Amino acid sequence: MSTSPSEPAQAHVQLTGVTKRYGGVTALDNVDFACELGSVHAVLGENGAGKSTLIKIMSGVVQPDEGEIRLDGTPTSFSHPAAANAQGIVCIFQELSLLPDLSVADNISIAEPPRRFGLIDRKAQRRRAEDLLARIGCEDVNPMARVRDLPLSRRQMVEIAKALAKDPSVLILDEATSALTSADVDTVFGILRRLREDGISILTISHRMHEIEAIADKCSVFRNGRHIETFAQGARSEGEIVQMMIGREITAHFPPKPPPPEATKPMLQLEKYSWEGKLKSIDLTVGAGEIVGLGGLDGQGQKELLLGLFGVLKGTSGTITVQGKEVTIASPQDAKAAGVDLALIPEDRKTEGLMLPMSIADNLTIASLNRLSRGLFVDQDALTAAVEDGIQRMQIKVGSSSDPVSTLSGGNQQKVVIAKWLMTDPKIILLNDPTRGIDVGTKQEIYRLLRSLAEAGASVIYYSTDYEELIGCCDRVAVMYDGEIVRELKGDEINERNIIASALKMDEAAE
Amino acid sequence: MTSLPQDTARARFKLGEDDKPIVMSAAFILVILAVGTVYTLYTQGTATLLSPEYLLQQLQVGAFLGIVAAGMMLVILLGHIDLSIPWTIAAGAMMATTVGGPMAIPVGLGVGLLVGLVNGLGVAYLRIPSMIFTLGVNAVMRGLMVAHTGGFAPQTAATDLMQYLAVGKILGIPVALMVWAAVSIIVMLLLQRTAVGKSIYAIGNKEAAAYLAGVPTRWVIVAAFCLCGMLAGLSGTLLAGYSTKAYQGMGDAYLLPAIAAVVIGGTHILGGRGRYLGTLIGVILIVLLNSVLSIMQMPESGRQVIYGSVIIVMLLVYGRGQKVTS
Repeated sequence: MSTSPSEPAQAHVQLTGVTKRYGGVTALDNVDFACELGSVHAVLGENGAGKSTLIKIMSGVVQPDEGEIRLDGTPTSFSHPAAANAQGIVCIFQELSLLPDLSVADNISIAEPPRRFGLIDRKAQRRRAEDLLARIGCEDVNPMARVRDLPLSRRQMVEIAKALAKDPSVLILDEATSALTSADVDTVFGILRRLREDGISILTISHRMHEIEAIADKCSVFRNGRHIETFAQGARSEGEIVQMMIGREITAHFPPKPPPPEATKPMLQLEKYSWEGKLKSIDLTVGAGEIVGLGGLDGQGQKELLLGLFGVLKGTSGTITVQGKEVTIASPQDAKAAGVDLALIPEDRKTEGLMLPMSIADNLTIASLNRLSRGLFVDQDALTAAVEDGIQRMQIKVGSSSDPVSTLSGGNQQKVVIAKWLMTDPKIILLNDPTRGIDVGTKQEIYRLLRSLAEAGASVIYYSTDYEELIGCCDRVAVMYDGEIVRELKGDEINERNIIASALKMDEAAE
Repeated sequence: MTSLPQDTARARFKLGEDDKPIVMSAAFILVILAVGTVYTLYTQGTATLLSPEYLLQQLQVGAFLGIVAAGMMLVILLGHIDLSIPWTIAAGAMMATTVGGPMAIPVGLGVGLLVGLVNGLGVAYLRIPSMIFTLGVNAVMRGLMVAHTGGFAPQTAATDLMQYLAVGKILGIPVALMVWAAVSIIVMLLLQRTAVGKSIYAIGNKEAAAYLAGVPTRWVIVAAFCLCGMLAGLSGTLLAGYSTKAYQGMGDAYLLPAIAAVVIGGTHILGGRGRYLGTLIGVILIVLLNSVLSIMQMPESGRQVIYGSVIIVMLLVYGRGQKVTS
């Protein structure tokens, strides 16, 4: 009995010869793809490989230019997302689709609120939200809370509850786990396994290899809009998969670490740094040429620490010493000023890192306009040179630097954010989860870049939700718990066991 | 393959997203002139509208609106709006004529600057939405001016210099037009060539991202409101010169046309994008439309309906174009 992956008899949703073009760009090129009932199917590929377009076509957000979609063998087409929803295809998108000023319960039932006498039945709506939240292990989320007030990882869980409310037969997750903590990922995977047993088809996009190993039955690799190969999970090694995705050989996942430095000159020293109960008397020293990771569960103050250092939070206390001089940082302007030389790669590149409709050149230079000005005016030659230099240095793939930055793929957008800050010649670089939702190739470029910046004498503070990154990249990892640094790991101590143990404050048990 | 050079040539001349409204407004100006000329040829047998005297006179009248619109554009690019324009104009004019003498014009500008500063501080530091805050400031200015004048047109007259700037001519070219040109060059340089200008666009697009890039966002907002207020004060001073004195409600006719000119010129009403050339053309369009409608002896009611419809239709057309790309 030979079962080829695209055998129509089993296929629940089947795409044949699907092509989608955006202007001159072919996002999907004659793709055949099928996903089966009762299986978890992972789609892998770099950003720009066509994964998101595939999902948008399946969920009715865009229509294919050519090709056919069959649902249970019947040709069908979705003119808009609600039509796909009605057929049981529900998608959890990478960009959060929640309305920040409505309550959790309102958001979960936004498409089809329970009605009574034609009006929304608020009690039923609340009960429904409570049930769904309990199902995904989020009893701690108050259904009446405003979504705006929830941390990102909770919002993502609400997003999942909202999708489950639609009773899907095909559930599509587009990077839905990238903002979640490890514990939440486990919960979500538990739900997915149960849904799979109920015969639901699940399609997932993720850049985290270990998550795919944990959940997927089948994997499909896409590259440049083409479907490269579909295989049973486990049939290909991680190295083979990565090579399929990027089409070139990858030697090492992370650049080699130098031997632990002998007491370097301290670049940044924090003493008793505190903020409104979210940061509690933090002492941290970062040496020149050192990459220090911030570990721990999501929401333990890591983000606040970075934002505080960058002058965004009001009312911090304690002392910050940069290169031996005590400094006051009351705004990002102070943070990037000469003598402090901080840079922050923010968490959300779309709202905090970039002005999306503006040109690549404008985005690259916005942080260094004062350096590029001569007298009243911006020096046009210096500006052009700086833009070219930034594009070269980060190897950003651009058509023209006057194109809107929104036309770039996620990985290249993140490179623009980083290049923008490199132009200011920072001495201390703060990164808030910079590799979230970007492709493997770009991730590796970022790792190498951080190492080369450190070798050139800069200090890096790196917060990541991905333990692999902390282990692979950092010279030292400061694990945070409830606003405090509970443990600093060095050298060989940096391993997953120690990070998780410290993150859960289990030091004694783990020793 | 052979079509490659042609393609690149076309790409070079391809209209950008921001250029389309400008081209469309320019085309509409030609339509207005053509319709008006056909009318005058038919009724009077002359093409009055195409004579240099008529066009220069329209530009002179347009200068007052143009100067206001230049300031308004800065504020709209930020994603804000300045509704205090009417009484900033009137206050600038009234204080300039009250003080008189050589200090008249500096006082007119200074009053505008001060109103702009209050607006800017309220919006940037108190974080009150500009639509409400500037509306409130407009009412306050109105009250202050009524208290100052007793509710009547002030008896004081505009100085000679004010009158010269408003109605004088050098080599047949109205001085007011030159003032407008100077303001335009300054605003254009500001927007295209300075860090402040680029910061204005950045804030209009995504204030959080601009702030996190170390842009002094509050300072830029205050500066833009100050400039807007000062230009309204300048316009008021010139208007007083034009009609030789200040009077109640003299700025009332400038608020909506100024916003309309900016938006017709392609500046996004929510901020972030737009070119100054568009605002210039928007002002000319509005001035010519008004003038041609009055030449055609359209009653006031009909003029208002056509004037409003044109604004709505032009925006509808732009809106459709923008939807495709975003």
